[in-house]
Amino acid sequence: MRRLVVASAGLLLFSLASRPGDPPEGTICPLPNAPSGLEARLLAIERENGCLELPGTELADSAVLQASSVPDSPLWPPGWDKATIAGGDIQPARVVLDPYPTLHSVVVDAERDKVFMSDPNRHALWSYDRLAASKGKELVEPLTGIRGPSTGMMFVAAVTIDRERQEIFSVDNDIGDRMMVFPYDANGNMKPKRVLDVPHQAWGLSIAPERDELAVTVESSRQIVIYRRAAEGHEAPLRTIRGPNTGLGDPHGVFFDGQNNEIVVANHGNQGGRQPAPGDAPARQRGTRVSEPQPIVGGRFDEPSITVYAADTKGDVAPLRKIQGAKTGLNWPMAIDVDRTRNEIVVANNGDSSIRIFRRTDTGDVAPLRVIKGPRTGIVGPMGVAYDLKNSEIWVANYGDHTALVFPIAARGDVAPKRMLRNAPAGSPTVGFGNPGAVAYDTKRDEILVPN
Amino acid sequence: MHGIFYDEVHDEIVVPVALGGAVLTLPGDAAGDAPPKRVLQGPKTGIVQPDTIFVDLKHDELIVESGDDAVLVFPRDAQGDVAPSRRIGGPNSGVNNIYGLATGLDCIVVANRVESGGRASDDAILVFDRLGNGDPKPKTKISGPHTGIIKIRQVFVDEERGLIFATIKNNFEAYNYADPRPSPWDPNKTGFIGVWSIDDNGDVPPRGVIKGPATGLVWPAGVAINAKNQEIYAIDSVSNALFMFKVPEFFVKAPGSNGLWR
Repeated sequence: MRRLVVASAGLLLFSLASRPGDPPEGTICPLPNAPSGLEARLLAIERENGCLELPGTELADSAVLQASSVPDSPLWPPGWDKATIAGGDIQPARVVLDPYPTLHSVVVDAERDKVFMSDPNRHALWSYDRLAASKGKELVEPLTGIRGPSTGMMFVAAVTIDRERQEIFSVDNDIGDRMMVFPYDANGNMKPKRVLDVPHQAWGLSIAPERDELAVTVESSRQIVIYRRAAEGHEAPLRTIRGPNTGLGDPHGVFFDGQNNEIVVANHGNQGGRQPAPGDAPARQRGTRVSEPQPIVGGRFDEPSITVYAADTKGDVAPLRKIQGAKTGLNWPMAIDVDRTRNEIVVANNGDSSIRIFRRTDTGDVAPLRVIKGPRTGIVGPMGVAYDLKNSEIWVANYGDHTALVFPIAARGDVAPKRMLRNAPAGSPTVGFGNPGAVAYDTKRDEILVPN
Repeated sequence: MHGIFYDEVHDEIVVPVALGGAVLTLPGDAAGDAPPKRVLQGPKTGIVQPDTIFVDLKHDELIVESGDDAVLVFPRDAQGDVAPSRRIGGPNSGVNNIYGLATGLDCIVVANRVESGGRASDDAILVFDRLGNGDPKPKTKISGPHTGIIKIRQVFVDEERGLIFATIKNNFEAYNYADPRPSPWDPNKTGFIGVWSIDDNGDVPPRGVIKGPATGLVWPAGVAINAKNQEIYAIDSVSNALFMFKVPEFFVKAPGSNGLWR
């Protein structure tokens, strides 16, 4: 029995050795013992994605590639046909992967009874009927799925919508550096209506229809970038909030409140070793040089926070309010949403698998008004959260499970959700890979370690 | 996090935290919300946005990518805000935009990225003397069109066989919206695992490769080896998949220096 354990700081550990008698801790890896259909499904998906279309590369399975076995093809670098190279086009002995979508962010259009979710695992945007729910262990088929090479979607993060124009917006995070806009009825492998270049490591995205503007949060450069709602191409932002006084630290979820003229941001609290460039100057990007880089001040792990800024502000400004401290229970706060009728902020608190609701005007070290948390809730590593104010519901997108959950808006404590939407059959493991960038082998435990 | 090292001598896991400008050391059996045993962080460290690390177990040193185009060397158990014992960086070194680090055979191996516009690059495997300090020139540089090195990521040194294992993404991410069928990918250029001798130098093809449609690799970003089982592990940042390859021929030590590997 293979074992998957989710460990600290985004590390995933995969056990190699069989351990007869071990209890099924965590989830069970799908390969190699699972039906080969899973593997076939993944390969089909990647071919559809244009990543595996490699005509003319039928190579030897293994052993030493002699000159004759390397095709004279632009697929292979020059000179390889004359070299003796071991290995070749080898099938993996085993694969760990998740053939199903992994839910990231969620947004609801209650007027049209549609729910949209982003999926960084299979690089897609999915829409569902608002009332679709799994009655048992079965998955719910989406209404539409936008994915494929023409979409430009890579490691997608937040999703939001323009209800008036019926448009879906999403941003790429660590690969891609783009915001993409699709019509509601987009389906399959299609070009976006428009594309906007955004800074590297964009995560959160929110539209203020009242202002015809949108806000994007950026992790490493610790900034909020505000654009015209209809911005596209290489268009410059209208303004930027960035600098040491802002209190921004690895910002994630954002809500652009055009009624109260505020921008609300969830911060993980990570501060990189170089001071963020204050004001509107372009931030230094990895791999680029600037003549006068900002001073090295040393990295810090500040406490997570919710910070609030005036909508018109720019540069290195202090927040109007900051929710931060031990009483808040904030721990890797991801997406947020604001209910302006009840004056509440809802937070997907990934670090302790909870949903936390604060007063919109809270500041300082305050306890949440309500917390939804516990084994009955089914909340596992939530990444997305969204209000459906028309139907008085809260939607939660679980990154740690193949489910989205719907709770009454006033839910609190360890309560079961009203509805559950599965995007994979019950019991399907959620591998949790998201743009993984390294691997190590634990010789003592015979395990493979993967950081996310 | 884009780096990780398992220290089998001290049973520790070491990870860089790019967004917090830190290196954390965790117990080998850490799980859940476990606190680190040590945190290396602060202005004296020179650590800005570290993407990758390595531990030289033979010489008890921690090798850190600064996030600022430099290799920093600390005592293995360094913690808090301490200055590095050595630093490699500067124009002679050519160190730029490091995406992988490894040590072995008295060398520090650097996965170096130099993008020169469009789909061109001068990405390289740079090999420095282990005790290099300041702005030294690399001992050797594996780079050029015959290497196939484009967008290099994690590297690993197999000391026993004198090999450098490298992950090569081999594909620029570029999306041209005006194209009728735009794609961020050139599907003819999927990534691969390349293996070179640590003595290789210049524009030379790899001595071993895992590449092609059967491999499933698209954008491999990480590599590790299990010599006992003769396996190579590759993590792919686009497929979001972990691939395990059984490649016995990569673990054969050729006699003398005229064999396949050395």
